[in-house]
Amino acid sequence: MKNSIRFAWLSALVALSGLPLQGCTDLTENPKSNITPGNFYRNEAEVLGGVASVYAMLRNDGTLWGYYNISEISTDEMIVPTRGQDWNDNGRWLEIHRQTWQAASPAGLDDINRIWVDSYKGVARANVVLDALKKVTVSNQAGMEAELRTLRAFYYYLLLDAFGGVPLATDAQVIPRARVTRDSLFRFIESELLAVRGTLPLNRPATEQGRVRRGVADAILANMYLNAGVFHKETGVSATAYNSCAGIAVAGGIDACQAAINFSDSILNSGVYSLATNWRSNFTSTNRTSLENIFVAKNLASSGLGLNFPQRALHYSQFNPEPWNGFSAVAEAYRSFDAADDRRAIFLVGPQVNQETGAPVCERPKTTCGPGSVPLVFTDTIGDVTSARENEGPRIMKFSVDPGHVAENNGNDYTFFRLAEIYLIKAEALNEQTPGSATALGLLNTNRARVFTPPKPLLTIDRPTILNERRFEFAGEAKRRQDLIRHGKYTTWVETSKNGKLTATETFRILLPIPQSQLDANPLLVQNPGY
Amino acid sequence: MIDGVPISNDATAGSGFDVAGGSPPLARSPLNLLNPADIGSITILKDASATAIYGSRGANGVILIETKKGAAGGSSVEYDTYVAAASPAKRYDVLTASEFRSFIQSQVALHNTDSTRGLDSTALGTLGTANTDWARAITRTGATQNHNLRFAGGSDITRYLASLNYMNQQGVALSNGMKRLQGRLSATHQALNSRLRLGVNVTTSQVNDNFLTYENTGGFAGGVFENVATFNPTQPIKVTDSLGVTRFFETGSTSVRNPVALAEQITDQATTNRTIGNLSADFDLMPNLTARINVGADKTAGLRQLYIPKSNPIGSSVGGLARQGQYTNVSKTLQAQLSFRRDFGEAHSVDVVGAYEWTQVDRDSLIAESHNFLSDAFSFNNMGSGTVVVPPTSGGRMDRWISFLTRANYGYKERYFVTGVLRYDGRSSFAPGHKWTAFPGISASWHLSREGFMASSPFSEMRLRVGYGVVGNPGAAAYSSILTLDASGDARYVFGTNPVTGIAANRNANPDLRFERTSQIDVGLDYGLMQNRISGSLEYYVKNTSDLLLTVNVPQPAPVVNRLENVGKIRNKGFELSLDALPISRSSMTWRAGIVLSVERNKVIDLGPYSFITTGNVSGQGQSGQTSQRVIPGFPIGSFYGPVYAGVDSAGRQLFRCDSGTSCVNGVTTTASASTRAVIGNANPDFTLGFHSELTRGRFDVSMLVRGSFGQDVFNNTALVYATKGNALQGKNFLRDALNDPIRLRDPAVYSSRWIESASFVRLQNVTVGYSFDIPSGVGSARTARIYVSGDNLLLLTGYSGLDPEVFNDASIGGIITRGVDYLSYPRARTVTAGLRVAF
Repeated sequence: MKNSIRFAWLSALVALSGLPLQGCTDLTENPKSNITPGNFYRNEAEVLGGVASVYAMLRNDGTLWGYYNISEISTDEMIVPTRGQDWNDNGRWLEIHRQTWQAASPAGLDDINRIWVDSYKGVARANVVLDALKKVTVSNQAGMEAELRTLRAFYYYLLLDAFGGVPLATDAQVIPRARVTRDSLFRFIESELLAVRGTLPLNRPATEQGRVRRGVADAILANMYLNAGVFHKETGVSATAYNSCAGIAVAGGIDACQAAINFSDSILNSGVYSLATNWRSNFTSTNRTSLENIFVAKNLASSGLGLNFPQRALHYSQFNPEPWNGFSAVAEAYRSFDAADDRRAIFLVGPQVNQETGAPVCERPKTTCGPGSVPLVFTDTIGDVTSARENEGPRIMKFSVDPGHVAENNGNDYTFFRLAEIYLIKAEALNEQTPGSATALGLLNTNRARVFTPPKPLLTIDRPTILNERRFEFAGEAKRRQDLIRHGKYTTWVETSKNGKLTATETFRILLPIPQSQLDANPLLVQNPGY
Repeated sequence: MIDGVPISNDATAGSGFDVAGGSPPLARSPLNLLNPADIGSITILKDASATAIYGSRGANGVILIETKKGAAGGSSVEYDTYVAAASPAKRYDVLTASEFRSFIQSQVALHNTDSTRGLDSTALGTLGTANTDWARAITRTGATQNHNLRFAGGSDITRYLASLNYMNQQGVALSNGMKRLQGRLSATHQALNSRLRLGVNVTTSQVNDNFLTYENTGGFAGGVFENVATFNPTQPIKVTDSLGVTRFFETGSTSVRNPVALAEQITDQATTNRTIGNLSADFDLMPNLTARINVGADKTAGLRQLYIPKSNPIGSSVGGLARQGQYTNVSKTLQAQLSFRRDFGEAHSVDVVGAYEWTQVDRDSLIAESHNFLSDAFSFNNMGSGTVVVPPTSGGRMDRWISFLTRANYGYKERYFVTGVLRYDGRSSFAPGHKWTAFPGISASWHLSREGFMASSPFSEMRLRVGYGVVGNPGAAAYSSILTLDASGDARYVFGTNPVTGIAANRNANPDLRFERTSQIDVGLDYGLMQNRISGSLEYYVKNTSDLLLTVNVPQPAPVVNRLENVGKIRNKGFELSLDALPISRSSMTWRAGIVLSVERNKVIDLGPYSFITTGNVSGQGQSGQTSQRVIPGFPIGSFYGPVYAGVDSAGRQLFRCDSGTSCVNGVTTTASASTRAVIGNANPDFTLGFHSELTRGRFDVSMLVRGSFGQDVFNNTALVYATKGNALQGKNFLRDALNDPIRLRDPAVYSSRWIESASFVRLQNVTVGYSFDIPSGVGSARTARIYVSGDNLLLLTGYSGLDPEVFNDASIGGIITRGVDYLSYPRARTVTAGLRVAF
């Protein structure tokens, strides 16, 4: 008996010890819940998963945070005032609004850094898939390559707009790279879009709505050409005068203004897009059917997939889940709108209701109205932007709340390019070629016709008229910074709100600083002048 | 390590649900598995050559726990039990209802005379008629009971020990606590004339945790302790409506939440089953040659279950939220060792060991969540009935450590000793080509007191030690070196109306990722005087860590912003002194006492290309994007960095020092973002002191333990956000300290040196009084018994204004360590325990 126990002990030990010895020195890793590029991207569906990840950087946590916020809040369109204990956030919101950022300041290390890393994340994700596509053959390969290169060009376009020339990478290696000139980055984006636009489909079925079409490449090109006076120069961009596309030669040796007109026409004549009769239908939760929207960030009322703009702007009591009561409009922006202009309805001013139920709402702490509570009334001005009350400032609710929203996820597609902008790009380029151009005036008035009852056409056209018309048309669509820079007004605008942006800022601020964290990570980077 | 089995420190039940920001990770030590009464010995190894034996997993020191074993010679039965009562040593000091009422009234009066100041009359509408002390309402006296039964016995051949433990502990805040049921079996057996020695240990436990909804990070809206600090004290805990139904009072806002309701309504619990076992065999191949094999396993299965009902403001925004997460960790280990030991003649002794060690840890997890339930009745038990189903997440990871080790000891005349260790460590998560690294260690000691020339010295014991060793820190999670793709949430997109799974890189490759290396030199002196009535040691060490494993930003473009890299160097230098004395040693009375003094200096020597790395996330509303610490070359880890507070101006605005800029007037500015930032504090103590004393007189024994830590700073993030009158603008309460500061109502809470506090303290950690007695033989067979009463954390001397100066908040960003940040900490308990031990 004793012997057999011993035998059992011994054999158990031998058996147990023998098992792991098979892999005596094996330290190979075979990730279980992660995969590697080497064993993935083997068919169209898998590649499409990679393509989706590149699109994903367009959404809330990508382009619609850093790039959107800086493009809006650093201008005379939006402000995030400090409200008591709320929204101080290291002072960065007012720093953005007053344009006092630095490479290592709160906004530099946070929001400006977000533009850098989120745009580059889009580039890098595209490069990972494009690298993988070089080694495999899948169906629709050329189409997906064209799609990826268009998206990558768009992310580079955002970087070009924000920082000027930046490091240019077309492979997936993570290595320090030096900046290229703004001009050569412009030409890279241009050549990429020109190379792939013919491969992109003119239109797509409803199941593919949101994926890039030829119009997307053409819209980016048209817009880049209009901004060539800014984007196509390494030096000599004026912070205080209009930067015209006229006299700048682009691909094929044509003038940038003419190129802007050509690519606008390509879209206008494509037969795919048309202006919506009901202007606001371009921004609602069903705007996926809009024929006007050319390039959108797709959203869906589903956990983690929706637009959160109502959270940013609305008062705590106006939506469920409770919004953040942050982003407000600058009084001057609201007041610049014609009272007869339908587009003014994007502003919430005066007595407020719950955006879902329509019930009147009150200030905190009793957000539902009852005895002793104060009705919520949004003012059009902000007394002191460093200590604003919770009801101060108009709110921009262009992308109206989605009745079917899931938590903070609204299903409204966000619009990067609409046909209305193509009208205005073409008009502005024409006006550069022939100041006061009647054709240009006609384009503006065609666009205005749907938002005034009775119609209120413009009688003359000049640069300020165009800039104003763009403000009315695109408020809340992250166009204002780029427009003000092109028109030489980005650093000079001022407002009346106490403690707001009260003086002109330095001219070098038309380019953002490269965040200190990025300078540290890449020793080859050189800071933009002035910072 | 418990009985030679390396114990994984991984969370066993996953983290909590993010109510507002990050909820705290499980503050659950792996030692929860063990019943303290089963611990036979605890050895802590810190010096270079000792940790070298345990290799890279021991780079930060090794805690060796040997559990109690059976003893030869008859059987014994022991029962011990204790009951304890714990209450919060300190509560958040907020305004009382009447103070809050008069504050609001005075602000309204102020507004009526000057409309630019104070609160308008509508603020009066927020005042209720109740008087609620939320800090008291949320806490309680928590009762604990513990029972332990152990029996042991055996012969010279076979010995055994078995024990059973039950513990039920209530937290000092409502609705949280822990229950533990644990059993242990241990046996040893000798065979083949003692040439073969076998041992087996099995410990299995079930721990049931009930968690409180609170948070140590985050911003906009919070859990229990944020609402303790801010919830209106003039409102009641519960109200009865016109239909006679009693329910919790809520404001109607979903971000301001009745803290008692949060604690009572939310169910958040975990059940963790863990089993550790090992089987060892020592076999003497030859008289001087012994082979040893130890195989062990550590398996944990944790299930965390959460339900936030619709009736609660958090749950109401999603129609009720249920979540279950299952986590399985399995660690397997094998150690094979051959040792040779022999004395040569009188003078020489040699001991050589060769060993192979293999450990694999597998982790799997599965989390499911759904929202929007018809009723709260199902709790988390019918997740399919929620109409919104969050896509489940699951994951699996594997880690492997393999080591080869040789160690040789040589002793000469029992006076001179030399030990050499050479390890060859392998770790799966490093890059191919860098997975294996050799680490040497060498130490020598001279037992001076055995030398003839010391015979007449006052020293009864003296030993001089020097050591040098290099160990590798394996602080890299599985797959850290390879580019992996993941179907993560942030890669998903929508085409048309269809969500599409996005596959994106979730980690950058780092083909150079390798061990962090710490080389340590230590010099020590052990001494004894007066037949060792006085004894102790002096120790000095320098630890240089290079190839520091840090998560740093990478050059863009990169699919992920950062990656784990070997960057930079840090140095720790330190000095430790211990002195133990036995001033009284008589048969009727003994008194033993001692002190320990430790001094350590830490410095970042180099950070590669980085001028600094930010960390130390600041929590609270209005603080997003704010950080409190920087890792900077030339400064220690745990350096606070930010604006320098310079008082208050006549308008009640906070001022900060500045050098230039339009807003800088007379060297100060009201705009913190335009101020000049500087290092404003150091979270590391200058020195720490410990004092212990044990006195036995007859049947009585009295012991005490006092700890002190001096010179360290703590960032009081709680005060930053809640000691601010501006909370009243949102109808919220605040900490009393703000009542008397001259800062105006509408000044925002700004992180600055104002919130860096000295956190030196002296704590009376424990006092125990015991009485031992023999039970008269007439009563059963009881032989000895001891009863005791002890108190923990009875006294704390500190100038720190927060709840407790010892803080453990994880405010790290990207895994960069933070120290000394205090935000909404769980109150530390003051505990009184009474216990009894009976041995039969």
